[in-house]
Amino acid sequence: MYQRYHLQTSLTPEIAPFPNRTRVEVNKPGLALHLLKELIRYRGNLKVALSRPCVYGTFSGPVGGFAPVNSKCVGCLRCTIEHPEMVQVQLNPEHQRLGDSYLTPEHFDTICYEARTGRIPVKGAGYRGPFGGEGWDGMWTDMSEIVRPTRDGIHGREFISTSVDIGQRPPFLNFAGPGAASEQSVQTFSIPLPVLFDVPPASVLSAELLHALAQAAREAETLLVVPARVLKQFALQGPQLVPLASREDVGALREIHFTPPLIELDGWDETLFREIRARFPESTLCLRQDFAARQELLKHYDAGIRVFHLAANYHGRGREGRFIADLIREAHGAFVEKGCRDEVTLLGSGGIIAAEHVPKAIICGLDAIALDTALLAALQAQFVGECLEGKKSRFRLPRRLTVDWGVQRLKNLLATWRDQLLEVMGAMGLRDVRRLRGEIGRAMFEKDLEREAFSGIEGYAR
Amino acid sequence: MPDSAKTAEQIITEKHTESLRQGFHLWPELKNGVPPALGDARWTADLILSTWLQAETGTPPVNGLEHRVGRSGGGFDVLDFKFPSPDRRVSSPEAIALSIPLNRRPYDRRIEIPIPFYGAGMSFGSISEQVMDARAKAAKAWKTFTCAGEGGYPDSLLPYKEHVITQVATGMFGVREETIQHAPIVEFKYAQGAKPGLGGHLLGDKVTSSVASMRESVPWVSLFSPFPFHSVYSVEDHKKHVDWVKTINPEALVSVKVSTPTDIDMVAVGSYYAGAHIIHIDGSYGGTGAAPEIAKKNIAMPIEFAIPKVHRYLSQEGIRDEVVLMASGGIRTAYDVAKVIALGADGAILGTTELVALGCTRCGNCERGRGCPFGLTTTDPELSQLVDPEWAAERLGNLYRSFQLQLSDLLRRLGLASIRDLVGRTDLLTYRRQAGAR
Repeated sequence: MYQRYHLQTSLTPEIAPFPNRTRVEVNKPGLALHLLKELIRYRGNLKVALSRPCVYGTFSGPVGGFAPVNSKCVGCLRCTIEHPEMVQVQLNPEHQRLGDSYLTPEHFDTICYEARTGRIPVKGAGYRGPFGGEGWDGMWTDMSEIVRPTRDGIHGREFISTSVDIGQRPPFLNFAGPGAASEQSVQTFSIPLPVLFDVPPASVLSAELLHALAQAAREAETLLVVPARVLKQFALQGPQLVPLASREDVGALREIHFTPPLIELDGWDETLFREIRARFPESTLCLRQDFAARQELLKHYDAGIRVFHLAANYHGRGREGRFIADLIREAHGAFVEKGCRDEVTLLGSGGIIAAEHVPKAIICGLDAIALDTALLAALQAQFVGECLEGKKSRFRLPRRLTVDWGVQRLKNLLATWRDQLLEVMGAMGLRDVRRLRGEIGRAMFEKDLEREAFSGIEGYAR
Repeated sequence: MPDSAKTAEQIITEKHTESLRQGFHLWPELKNGVPPALGDARWTADLILSTWLQAETGTPPVNGLEHRVGRSGGGFDVLDFKFPSPDRRVSSPEAIALSIPLNRRPYDRRIEIPIPFYGAGMSFGSISEQVMDARAKAAKAWKTFTCAGEGGYPDSLLPYKEHVITQVATGMFGVREETIQHAPIVEFKYAQGAKPGLGGHLLGDKVTSSVASMRESVPWVSLFSPFPFHSVYSVEDHKKHVDWVKTINPEALVSVKVSTPTDIDMVAVGSYYAGAHIIHIDGSYGGTGAAPEIAKKNIAMPIEFAIPKVHRYLSQEGIRDEVVLMASGGIRTAYDVAKVIALGADGAILGTTELVALGCTRCGNCERGRGCPFGLTTTDPELSQLVDPEWAAERLGNLYRSFQLQLSDLLRRLGLASIRDLVGRTDLLTYRRQAGAR
C-alpha cells in the first residue's frame, strides 16, 4: 500500500546552554529609585507600580528587573524604549560566538530552532539582512502568480515529490526488436528527499554521533557517508550507510557484510574502482572529489563514473576559491553540453547550511545535497575557530549528547528543510524536485538583475 | 477622568503609554546613544530613530541621524541622486507639484492624490483597529488612501471610506458587497512580496473573537488565505474578477497587487489588459505580520529590479501612459519614494514605514503570542490600548509632511517642477557601492 513520506517531528529542546541573542542590563539602583517614585506616584498601588514593560516575562522572576530572565528576552526593546536610562538591551557576545564566519550566529539560531521544533521559522516584519551579496545571497527563486502544482495546499492533500534518483541511466531506450527493450544499464535507486548526510569531521567522531547520524539517516530513508575504516571501527552496518573508500580502506571494505546502495571512491583510482566494482557489483559507485574542471569530469565520465560527489569546503569554496553555486553550474553545464546530463547523478556538499540553499543548489544543477556543518549545528556543536575542512576543523559536541536526542534533532531539521523546499517549489508551481534540477530560468541572480535594472545609471559598472 | 475613577488596568496602560511616548521622543535625541540592539541592515537604528523623529516633528532630522539610506549594500542603498548645477534649480518651491493620478485611462473616475504615496494593505487581525483608524484618519487628512487589507472592514472606518482601499484576496475574508460598494478603489491581492506564492497566514493567537467575527471564522484557529485565487488561471479569469467588481461598484478603480517573479513584466501587461487602473508590484523585501523566513529573502525579486523591468516593458508595449504603476516592498524613506519613481513607478505604497513611525522597532514578534508589544500588530485588548488613534494619526501626518518636504526639496534641486517629471528618470540617479556594508 502506498505510504506518503513523512518525518515525525517532536519538540527536542537543547541539551547544552544556548546563549540568547540579547542580554538585558538593568541599572539596579536606578530601578530601586524608580520603583520608589512609582509607589509614591501611584499611592502605593502595587499592581500599577510593579507593572513591567516586558510582555514576554523577562522581568517576571521573583525580583523582577533586579534579575532579568535573559532567556525570555525576544529583543523587542520595549523596556529600553520606555526606560532609556535604566535598561539596556545588548547583543549577547556569547551568542555572537556561535558558529563561525560562514555559519553565522543567525544561521545557528535558525538551525537550532528547526532542530528543536521541526517547524518552519515564521516571523513578522520583513527581511532584515543584506540586500544580496556573494554566493547564495545573490540568488532569488521564482514564483508564479497563478500557477500551483495543485490547488489543495502544499501541506495538505497536494502532492509535491521530493524524491530523487541516484545512479546511472541510459540516455534513451534501445530495442532489440519490436516491443522488446534491450538490456539496459539502469542502476538507480531513489531517496525520498534530496538530502544526504556527509562524512562527519574527524574531531567529533564518536559512537554516539555516528549512531545518531546513522539512525536518523535510516529513519529518514536517506544516506550517511562514512569512511570505510570508521564503519569497521564502530561496527556500523545498514543499507543507509555509504562507505567512503580510498586505497587505505581496502581491508575495511573486505569486512563490510552488507550491500551498500552507494559506495564513494575518495578520489580517482582506477584499480580501486575496478576492485570495488568487482566486489560490490550491485552497489552504485560514486566518485568523490573536489569540484573539478570540465575536462576532468568528462574524463571520469568516459572512464565509467556516473555518480559524482563534488565537495567544496565548509564555507562553500572550491577550485580557485570560487563559490559552490558557480562550480555546480559549471559542472552541470559540462554534462549538459556533452549531452549526457541525464545519465549522471551529481551530489554536492560544502557551504549548504540553510534550507534555502537546497533548492538553490538544485537549481544550479545538483541532484542532491550532502549536509555537513548544518548537522553539527543542529546537535549544538561548538565551532572552534574557523571551520573549513573536515580533517582539520575542530568541533565540540555537547557532553550530554545521546543517540535518541540526536536522532530527533536531525529528523526535525530534515523535516523542516523538506517543508521549506515544498514552500519554494509550491511558489514556483513545481510538483517534482527532479524538475527543479538545473532550471536556471526559475532563478534570478543579483548580478543579472542589477545589470538589467541599473545599467545606464552613472557609476554602475560590473 | 480622575485617577480614582480609573481601573488599575487603565492606569497601567496610561503609565506605559506615557513611558513609550517619552522613549520615542528621547531616543532620537541621541542623549543615550543608540539602542545597541536596535536595527538591521535594511532598517538601521538611524533609520528607525529618524522615522520616529519625523513622526514627532514633521521635518527631517538635523542632528546627524541618517534618514535617507540603510546599510543593506544594494538596491536603494546604493542609489543616490545626481543634482544639476544650482542655476537649474526650481526657484519657487511652492510651485512644485507632488500630486499623482490614480487613473490614467481615458474613462472611469478621476482620482488624484496630493502626495505620491499611500498606505499599504494591513488587515484587521494583523494590526489593531486603533492602528487601522489612525491610518484612515491620516489618509483622510492628507487626501490620500490607506488599505484595509484582507480581513474585513470595521465600522469605525466608515467615516473615512472615501480614503480606504478595500482588498479582495484569496481567502475572501471580510469581502462583502457593501465593502466593495464603499470603496473608491478595490485591490485584488494576487500575492504579497514578503511571502510570494505562499498565500496569507494569520496565526491562531491573533484570531480573537472580534477578528473571527469580522472574518466569519472560528476564534483562535489559524487562518490561511490560500495561494492563488482558485478561480483565476489566466488573464481572462482575472478580467472576470474585475468585471465582477465593476458590476457591484461601477465607480471603483481597480488595483492589482502582484509579487515580483521573473515574468513580472508580462504579469503587468496582463493586468492592464484585464482592466486594472493600478498595477501594484510588491517587492520581496516588504513587510508582513507573519511569513516563513525562507520566503522573505529568497523568493521573487526586490522591487528595485522589478520597477525598471515593468516600466520599460509597459513603455515598449505603448501602454505605460494608460496605467498607474505603484510600488511597495521595502520603501523606507522619502528618498526611497523618489528612487522608486525615478526607476519608473508613478508612486509608492508605504507599510512598515508607517508602523515604524508609530513605534515599531522591527523586532519581528508580530505573530508571537499576544502580538506586538507596542500595540501595533496585535488584537490583544490590552496591548492595542497603547496606541491612541488620534496620537497615531498625528504621527503619520507628521511623517507624510516630512516626506513631502524632502520630496519637494529633492525636486527643486533636480530642477523638476512635478513629481510626474521624475518617472523613469534613471539618468538622474547615480550608483555607488557601499563600503563596509554587508
